Amino acid sequence: MNNSDILVIGAGVAGIEASLLLASTGKKVYLVEKASLTGGNVIKYEDVFSNMECSTCMIAPKQQEVLQSENIELLTLSTVEKVQGEIGDFTVTIKKKARYVSLIDCIGCGMCYEPCPVSLKNEFEQNLSEKKAIYVPCPGSLPNVPAIDPEYCLQLNGKKTCNACVEACAFGAINLSDKDEKIEIKVGAIIVASGFDIVEPAGFPQFGYGKYPNVYTAIEAERLYASNGPTEGEITLRKGNTPPQAIAIIQCVGREQQGYCSSVCCMYSLKLAHYLKHKLPDAKIYNFHSDWCMPGKYNQKFHQDVKEEGVDFIYSPVDKIKVEGNDKSLLIEYYNGKDEKEKLSADMVILSLAMMQGKDTASLSKLLGIEQDKRGFFMNQGIQLGSVDTSKPGIFLAGCAEGPKDIQGSITQAEAAVGKVMSYLS
Amino acid sequence: MSDRIGVYVCECGPNIADKVDIKKILTEISAFNEPPEKIIIAKKHKLLCSKEGQDFLADEIIKNELTHLVIAACSPRDHDITFMNVCKRTDLNPYLYKLVNIREHCAWIIPDKDEATEKAIQYIRAGISRVTYQDPLIEKELDSIPDVLVIGAGIAGIEASLSLAGENRKVYLVERTSSIGGKVTKFEKILPHQGTNLDIIQEKIKAVQENENIEIFTESEVEKAIGFFGNFEITLKNIHNDEQNNEFKVGAIVAATGFNLFNPEKIPRYGYGKIEDVYTSLEIEESNSKTGKILLKSGKPPKSVALIHCVGREERGYCSRVCCNYMFKIAQYLKEKMPDIKITEFYKDLCLPNKADQEFFVDTKNKGVNFIRFKDIAVKQKDKEKFIEYTKMDGKKEKISAEMIILAPAIEPAEGSKEIAELLNISLDETGFFQEAHQKLNPVATSIDGVFIVGTAQNPKNIPDSMMDAQAVGGKILTQLIPGEKLIPEVIVSEISEAFCTGCQTCLSVCSYGAIYFDEDRNISIVNEAICRGCGNCVASCPSGAAHAKHFTSTQIYQEVLEAIR
Ligand SMILES: Cc1cc2nc3c(=O)[nH]c(=O)nc-3n(C[C@H](O)[C@H](O)[C@H](O)COP(=O)(O)OP(=O)(O)OC[C@H]3O[C@@H](n4cnc5c(N)ncnc54)[C@H](O)[C@@H]3O)c2cc1C
Ligand code: SF4
Ligand code: SF4
Ligand code: SF4
Ligand code: SF4
Ligand code: SF4
Repeated sequence: MNNSDILVIGAGVAGIEASLLLASTGKKVYLVEKASLTGGNVIKYEDVFSNMECSTCMIAPKQQEVLQSENIELLTLSTVEKVQGEIGDFTVTIKKKARYVSLIDCIGCGMCYEPCPVSLKNEFEQNLSEKKAIYVPCPGSLPNVPAIDPEYCLQLNGKKTCNACVEACAFGAINLSDKDEKIEIKVGAIIVASGFDIVEPAGFPQFGYGKYPNVYTAIEAERLYASNGPTEGEITLRKGNTPPQAIAIIQCVGREQQGYCSSVCCMYSLKLAHYLKHKLPDAKIYNFHSDWCMPGKYNQKFHQDVKEEGVDFIYSPVDKIKVEGNDKSLLIEYYNGKDEKEKLSADMVILSLAMMQGKDTASLSKLLGIEQDKRGFFMNQGIQLGSVDTSKPGIFLAGCAEGPKDIQGSITQAEAAVGKVMSYLS
Repeated sequence: MSDRIGVYVCECGPNIADKVDIKKILTEISAFNEPPEKIIIAKKHKLLCSKEGQDFLADEIIKNELTHLVIAACSPRDHDITFMNVCKRTDLNPYLYKLVNIREHCAWIIPDKDEATEKAIQYIRAGISRVTYQDPLIEKELDSIPDVLVIGAGIAGIEASLSLAGENRKVYLVERTSSIGGKVTKFEKILPHQGTNLDIIQEKIKAVQENENIEIFTESEVEKAIGFFGNFEITLKNIHNDEQNNEFKVGAIVAATGFNLFNPEKIPRYGYGKIEDVYTSLEIEESNSKTGKILLKSGKPPKSVALIHCVGREERGYCSRVCCNYMFKIAQYLKEKMPDIKITEFYKDLCLPNKADQEFFVDTKNKGVNFIRFKDIAVKQKDKEKFIEYTKMDGKKEKISAEMIILAPAIEPAEGSKEIAELLNISLDETGFFQEAHQKLNPVATSIDGVFIVGTAQNPKNIPDSMMDAQAVGGKILTQLIPGEKLIPEVIVSEISEAFCTGCQTCLSVCSYGAIYFDEDRNISIVNEAICRGCGNCVASCPSGAAHAKHFTSTQIYQEVLEAIR
């Protein structure tokens, strides 16, 4: 039995691209996304290198298309639990967590947030701001429909009776007795586009993340700059609440430990430097780099441009860099190109941390029956078949789930996965 | 039948209802007499986008025999498509409807209710005024040919052909040289960490040759390609025989014309072409795969080799992405063949973007290859001895001697890329490679629908990435050009009025889709509706006002604005 429906796991740029292409042929696509919104990591950035196009403006139309496509069934807050069968005939069990808000009835007016009495840390915003128990992660989230966190909602966790959001909603869109569901679907092929995560900064105590409040990860810096972010784009320090005056960006953090170069951090570090120069023209910006990894035709020019904007590039091996200081000021100890020890003070440090496999890679690989490579990413089948095939026919890879890459690389791989699916299933 | 306009205002729950006075809107709109007597009905509804709301609308259109529909609700980004679909359900032409955004433009941004109401009324009047000037537009269907032309039979072209060819789809594979396989057939090994060796490439070549749905034309070039997505007419010419032309039709074209190496002679300090035993990486690959040996001109094996990275990187303005890795590979060849050889790699940056690259570097280093990061470098000869003179990162100048020097020249677009681009009407970017439709979101497509670019013709890349491009084009074409299915081109296109066109051809120069052609006989420019995307460039640039965009005509816009500012 040849089933031509497709399961796509992960609704980042790669998963979205694959779903849209497949749906355009009339095939039914189940797009399973763990989070409450689509877009993956890319929607966290204000702009993308190296053309510096507005990130949300770039992918929102695609996210919108997913929501409007009749052939795509988007399952948010969902994960795959069980996969059986083989190419042409997979049976997949999906666990869909209750959202408590109807994707059909809610119009996204946002009237329900105010009245909710519970505030909690907003993980999407890297805990730089708070959200209510009923929330959308950030303005512009798509679908623009809130979800309720059952762990924190007073009614749902049983701590108190509360009905505030339900009362505030004029559309009857909130249903506090919504339940988790198990859904069983049948598909002919599966595309795994579950993306990446960032290595934990705690693994690198020498840079003082967690110890000194004004040491940030690159994603935190992205959110600080974003106009829909926790500070609406104002760059103010965690401690002190003032704009920073000297910022040090440290590249390649975790590269040695992970055993590979993440291939995008040079470029996004340049992007961050450019952002910061733009908003804080008087601030000093230092970039500590080792090799410049900027493959491809557009990237070096961007590097040149950022250099001309007055960013200080310092060649310094990352393994010899240390950050010390206190709540307010930081001291970076490093070795310069002449291998001499130097010191430099700054009030903000940004760490360009290595990308690593998505947190669910191991469990997904087990339940899908596909292999991981020794770095932890999903394993491709090498030069014979190319980078989208897995060890199991009918299951393909797309985007950073297969290895670190930029947006165009992720899109290309998604299209390649679709190419494979189409030639197997048609 | 005279026009019968229906106007429907959505309350959007409290979103609009609480912030503007809908009752007042309905009274004023009903009394709006411009155009006279045409507003048949003005009503409100609590949520028009809901299923119930859509059914209500469909019902209203039919019941009231509406010829035009105006909806005052939210942003077209949210629900334009929803309401267009309602129109389609009822046989009302969807281009005779207008969505007026009174939520984001009025209710949500103006705190004063009276003011918001006034603005909403003005906007709705503008919408009504526009809608009566709108024309019904009809979607057309075009037959399409599923077959594909692939230009260039390197690894990208081969993989593209294999991804595309099938029972219902023929691939024409055109190659300039006398054999297929391209540059990779000159390599002894494909980077070891990418798996295996050349056999796999040979297998692919064989698979192409044996595939009955792939027709190969070697020693041939494309002479003409005219048409549009789904329907290109192709003329091939044989390079050696002018008589031998081939003509056929395809639905899509894939340009896989590959790369050339930067000529190191352009930078005299590398000594290439002047100093003996200075080679390019490709020359070493070729000699190694032909003879299995890497020898000096004298026929002796080298005792010391210097590998120099990034030759021409500064001049070209980009990093070529693959050379670091293949230089490690060459170092490993040398070490395998001559374990005692002294190898020094001079690099600027280590560009190791693939997940397996760094390991390969570490492995190469562990095999005893010496790596030196340099600022400046030159190859010098004194008497019989050759030297590398270099400045290190700390500014120190040093030199070492080497018997053989191998350069990694930058990857450039292949010769003739410019001509291919002109032939296919696609653009080159500032670096001379083919330009993609969108740098981030659409890397294998071009501004011309149905023309795709893959492999190093688009950007320097390695074999797996070139294959990935080729498979991606498979994804694009297999989903867009389905045998037996018709294509529906854009409906909102431009047209040029013959009576006004003076034949100045300004529009031709601004159309980035190549949608306009010039009719010499009639001395006018003509828009090919199958290609036009309705961007409006021609409209804005035409000095005689001959070009106009359907659904965005000057009259429509003028009438809308006039009413909005009245
Ligand atoms: C700080 C930073 C800045 C960057 N800036 C740029 C830039 O400017 N330009 C650029 O080209 N690239 C940039 N990149 C790289 C870019 O983020 C990636 O190329 C891109 O996000 C990859 O898309 P993806 O779809 O593969 O993965 P992701 O964006 O990670 O999306 C994966 C999706 O899968 C979901 N998911 C994960 N596990 C599961 C599961 N088990 N079940 C269901 N769903 C699951 C996730 O929730 C997520 O929505 C940057 C990276 C970083 C770290
Ligand atoms: S029911 Fe829960 S989510 Fe709703 S307002 Fe109360 S605490 Fe917040
Ligand atoms: S749940 Fe109700 S109140 Fe909340 S955003 Fe949706 S429609 Fe508005
Ligand atoms: S991309 Fe740049 S910053 Fe990231 S690991 Fe590679 S060399 Fe280091
Ligand atoms: S890949 Fe390496 S050798 Fe080639 S240009 Fe880039 S940095 Fe230089
Ligand atoms: S509207 Fe744009 S695409 Fe169409 S003919 Fe004019 S310039 Fe070309």
